[in-house]
Amino acid sequence: MWCASPASPHHAQHVAVEFVHPVIVGKPALAAVALPPHDLTASARANARPGDVLVAIGPAGSAGVLDLVRRTPAWGVTSVWIGGGERPAAGVADHVLWLPDEAAEHDGGFILLYHLLWELAHVWLEHPGLLQPDAACEGPVCTTCSDEGRLAEVIEVDGVSAVVRAGQRAERVDLALVGTVEVHDLLVVHAGMAITRLDPAS
Amino acid sequence: MTGGGSFLYPFLESEETDASALLADLASSAEAKAAESVRLRRTSIAGLADDLDRVATAMAAAFRSGGRLLTFGNGGSATDAAGLAALFASPVAGRPLPARSLVADTAVLTALANDVGVDVVFSRQLIAHGRPGDIAVGLSTSGGSTNVLKAFAEGRRRGLLTVGLAGYGGGAMATCPDLDHCLAVEGQSVHRTQEAQSALAHALWQRVQHEFEREGAP
Repeated sequence: MWCASPASPHHAQHVAVEFVHPVIVGKPALAAVALPPHDLTASARANARPGDVLVAIGPAGSAGVLDLVRRTPAWGVTSVWIGGGERPAAGVADHVLWLPDEAAEHDGGFILLYHLLWELAHVWLEHPGLLQPDAACEGPVCTTCSDEGRLAEVIEVDGVSAVVRAGQRAERVDLALVGTVEVHDLLVVHAGMAITRLDPAS
Repeated sequence: MTGGGSFLYPFLESEETDASALLADLASSAEAKAAESVRLRRTSIAGLADDLDRVATAMAAAFRSGGRLLTFGNGGSATDAAGLAALFASPVAGRPLPARSLVADTAVLTALANDVGVDVVFSRQLIAHGRPGDIAVGLSTSGGSTNVLKAFAEGRRRGLLTVGLAGYGGGAMATCPDLDHCLAVEGQSVHRTQEAQSALAHALWQRVQHEFEREGAP
């Protein structure tokens, strides 16, 4: 689990220490790391693997958080965004935990949210029977993710094709429909073709 | 398996596959904890209102005389100490005041912990940086962190204003002779205590800002 709070790095560190060094004796230590705030995206890109979780903390307009959560689908990473005040756009992260008051960043509100997150994570870990994959996503055809356009991040450009990171794996895609792309650009890929290049985050 | 099975094999509960009952339990438990957090944060601020006013007045006077705020703590309290220093030094609104945390520099922290011992990681920094008139704010949920208590002793020796934020009624901080002020939360869990400490720290910052608004610059 990767923790990021560019505007207030202490929150990411607090999340990480909760998981790594639990306050309740006997609870297992879980792998959580606060990302270096000056190097968030590059550090997450190098370290995150499919199946990991990103917990981001910050206001809706946080450029650092936005750049992370728009890329996490390409990395196969589930995103959780904790914040307060004005909400971010719907669907911008996989899960949004939001408090109405901006002061929640300072008055213990955010801390309450990630304390509960830690506690509930342990409850689910203690009930492995409840963590079975969704039946709808098993078998040769997944009703939610097969044969759809998928988000991908460019790893390497090789003339008319590129190697991209697209969720669970890296793959090669044809660039004929999108033209020139650069390393770290985000593409939508479908059936071996890049079909759209996304604009950089504003 | 039914009847005695779950008694004989309590681990079977971990094999259950129906999430709905557990989800309902977890939702109500989380709501109760959130309500307790809000209650403890409100009652801590209300119950300590006079103390908060006194500490804020003393801190504002120290800042006016050129004092700087130095914060410290361990683990989650270290991050809360860093957050408190950031709130004073770079608030979204209001007057920035000189403040930093003694947990920020990993080179200094690891050098002191490795070469001398973890008990001195804050007190040695106060020897280097603390000047009479500065403010030392230490956080400890137990109230008993040795390195925090040692820093208060060093701060007192050097003429700093010493302020402690503690849980569990204050622990050792409640009777610490080196503290000018102790703000103690009555929380019964580390997590609710940390949340209330954060609320107290925020209330303290608001009051210090108010002192400057009330009396004007500088």
